[in-house]
Amino acid sequence: MAVVAFWLLFVAFVGAFAGQVARRVQLIAIAPNTFSFDNLGFRVNRFLVDVVFQARTIRERPIAGIAHAFVFWGFVAFGGYTLTEFLRGLGIVDLTHTTWFTAYRLALTPFAVAVLGGILFLLIRRAFVRPVGLGTKVSIESIVIALFIATLMVTYLLTFRMEEGTMAEQVNWWVHMLVILAFMALIPASKHFHLVVSPITVLLKSPELGNLPNLDFEKEQVGLETVKDLGSKSVLDAFTCVECGRCQVNCPAWGAGKELNPKTIILQTKDALLAGGRDRKLGEIYSEKVLWQCTTCGACENQCPVGIEHLPVLIGSRRGLVSNGDAPDYLGAMYNNLERRSNIWGLGYDQRTKFVQSSGLETFDAAKHDVLVWLGCAGSFDADFQKSLRSLFAILRAKEVRFGVLAKERCNGDPAKRTGNEYMFQELANGNIEDLKASGVKKILTSCPHCVKTIGDDYRKFGYEVEIVHTSVYVEELLRQSSAALSGPRETVTYHDPCYLGRYAGKVDEPRNLLTRFGADIVEPERNRDNPYCCGAGGGLLFADKEEEPGTRISDVRFKQLQATGANTVVTACPFCSIMLKGAQASAQADTQFVDLMTYVNGKLQPRA
Amino acid sequence: MILVIAEQRDGKLNRATWETIVGAQQLAKASGAPITVLVPGTHAAGVGAELAAAQVAEVVTVEHAALEPYTPDGFTAALQAVIGQLSPAHVLLPHTYQTRDFAPKLAARLDRALVTDVTAIKTVGSDTAFVRPMFQGKLTADIVPQGPGPHFITFQIGAYRVDQVAKGAAAAPVRALEVAVDAAAIRQKPEAPFQQARQAVDLSQAERIVSVGRGIKEQTNIALAQQLAEALGAEIAASRPICDAGWLPMERQVGSSGQTVAPKLYLALGISGAIQHLVGMKGANTVVAINKDPDAPIFEIADYGIVGDLFEIVPAMIAALKA
Repeated sequence: MAVVAFWLLFVAFVGAFAGQVARRVQLIAIAPNTFSFDNLGFRVNRFLVDVVFQARTIRERPIAGIAHAFVFWGFVAFGGYTLTEFLRGLGIVDLTHTTWFTAYRLALTPFAVAVLGGILFLLIRRAFVRPVGLGTKVSIESIVIALFIATLMVTYLLTFRMEEGTMAEQVNWWVHMLVILAFMALIPASKHFHLVVSPITVLLKSPELGNLPNLDFEKEQVGLETVKDLGSKSVLDAFTCVECGRCQVNCPAWGAGKELNPKTIILQTKDALLAGGRDRKLGEIYSEKVLWQCTTCGACENQCPVGIEHLPVLIGSRRGLVSNGDAPDYLGAMYNNLERRSNIWGLGYDQRTKFVQSSGLETFDAAKHDVLVWLGCAGSFDADFQKSLRSLFAILRAKEVRFGVLAKERCNGDPAKRTGNEYMFQELANGNIEDLKASGVKKILTSCPHCVKTIGDDYRKFGYEVEIVHTSVYVEELLRQSSAALSGPRETVTYHDPCYLGRYAGKVDEPRNLLTRFGADIVEPERNRDNPYCCGAGGGLLFADKEEEPGTRISDVRFKQLQATGANTVVTACPFCSIMLKGAQASAQADTQFVDLMTYVNGKLQPRA
Repeated sequence: MILVIAEQRDGKLNRATWETIVGAQQLAKASGAPITVLVPGTHAAGVGAELAAAQVAEVVTVEHAALEPYTPDGFTAALQAVIGQLSPAHVLLPHTYQTRDFAPKLAARLDRALVTDVTAIKTVGSDTAFVRPMFQGKLTADIVPQGPGPHFITFQIGAYRVDQVAKGAAAAPVRALEVAVDAAAIRQKPEAPFQQARQAVDLSQAERIVSVGRGIKEQTNIALAQQLAEALGAEIAASRPICDAGWLPMERQVGSSGQTVAPKLYLALGISGAIQHLVGMKGANTVVAINKDPDAPIFEIADYGIVGDLFEIVPAMIAALKA
């Protein structure tokens, strides 16, 4: 009788679970396939670190993260117990009296205590502490789920205090099993679906941060315009989101009071998918204005513990807008500059030639030179940044590195790529690839982290492989033996990690090693290393720095963070960070000094007068 | 006869029409042909009287409801009729957006030659050639239009200077011309003209700009720059920090996050020349920079650079200008 009743309940609840899952699986199945398992070794490694060891969950929020890890490990540990109890309840086989189960059951007690402690902590945090990332109102469903989990642990622990076959034991068993069944029926529609899908999502997350495959114009691809254009990975992402808000609290746009909230983007995707309406425009769902507030710094995607990729949706939707001519005015001006002058400023290339000549640079010759120095838009035209490049040239010459530059460069295409103007990006990229191939270069050196990302990662998608190194990395190695001669007082500085160097390229130690070796004591700002706060320039926003935007300027927020270190010198390693932060400094009328890493190092190398 | 087609909207003459009249006067000098200026539209009379000051044979107005607001179909039909009545040898137009829209259609309708974006007229042997840029200005071509007249010529804005127009001793006669236009045949239904959000201050049209940067140091010192601007007949502008501090209104900011300007003279006072500022004023004809720091990037693009204290230099400049 009990077995029949349990079977009926089992079929009903599991059916409810399966029905909801099937709907989501179907939405994934009809989406354009964007799943990939390339670079499997990296993916498996990340799976171990982020899923099994919960590193990304713990890293940013150690206490809540460890509490979560306890619950997660407990869930896994209880898998066999739950299965065994189900087999018994369904009358299939009763293994509960085997010696191994007795031992296993006993071994679970510390896990149960850990889960109980963890979930009660998380429950209190959610219901009473209410951190901002978790949203403005308390989720009732989350409270119910937390109480469910606590009940499961309590009913498990009570089994040790009860005689088998008693009424109390029977009731306890039924409570335990019913909670599991109810839990199953609840999760697919809730953020607890991450229990089921996040391990898969993490495995499917691209090894490359901000992975944006080229659009194929032959196939008339124009980017994401409507709900039905969202790729299968983006659909899976939407159902995976656990709403923890790590993306939100790390987003520089959100932090500066803009409307963009990466978590909202993912939840809007989920709602739109479930609502049907596959022809609804993404520009309406997310709002066009919000889509143009992203600096593409990558913080959301990089901090996400469940493998969500925000950038393909944000930039993919921009592509859809640009394809329909819906880019903001300031981008129209920049696109004109790129089209007519092949650089973001719209300046004539005679200025680059003037700089190349006055710096005595040679045109790259593979037979004569070790490396090619890529100047980039800033190096070619920004007189301020050219000081940094002159310092670099002095260092290279002192160490007898043979280097040259291309006779002509175009913008690498980063501002076009990341604002969704894929056509212009491909025009620029193909032109540059042709010139780079013709030059026979094997190794490129650049002071611009955006060039590192674009030429390194994005050009590879055209089948062009070249080694491109940021100058901080190259010079750090080059000058390993040079610090012994240094004397003089040490200087307190703070270092601003560029997003495209610290986060995208993961180069956080090399600039610090250089600074420390050359007489600097670094005071770290809030948000550093591989999770810096953006300067506000990325994603084409260098030109969007308008007053009428809501909130404050991202650059002003970052400048205040740097100022708060108390260091009077800020070292930068990206021309665009330098432009933005100097702008913020000038507006703040502060006397903070900015110095580029290469200028700093070269200054210390000069003999003291 | 040379026919100049004037451009006006709501009774306001497009100044490029004067430039086209200068071109017509140059062409007339060679051929001796009389010039007729045609003003189409519903507000043609006032504009016609204004243009009658030029040294031309006559001004003809064509008032017709189908001509305002502008439609390519309405213009093509009306001008085809006018050209049929007047049979000019040349039809000259300013190379405006409106001209670009209807002139090719009109020339094709009449199956006559059209030379666009002309910057000069010159004589090649016994022929009159029209000079126009090619390949984005890398080359210039001398074009002699072939086939029967009239030949349509559109002049690049700025090809001729308005102040070179020859004025007549007395006003030229103005007469109204009647043409029939079938309003029902006009396929376009124009909406209200697009109005760009207007800046309270339009620095983009300023001929001279005095621009201040952080080197001005104090808000009270802005007055000094203002005096110089007054003495020069210039607009005052600033780099970002000055506007952020509220020392000058935001609409006076020049640079990538402000206005883009192209004055004849740009006088930069204490502006270091960060690239976001430079891209906003790179179109300036002559840049004069005053800055204490000889390494300031502004000197990279300045035509005249003064390394020194602006608080000494600017008063001396004001004094010299007033002397």
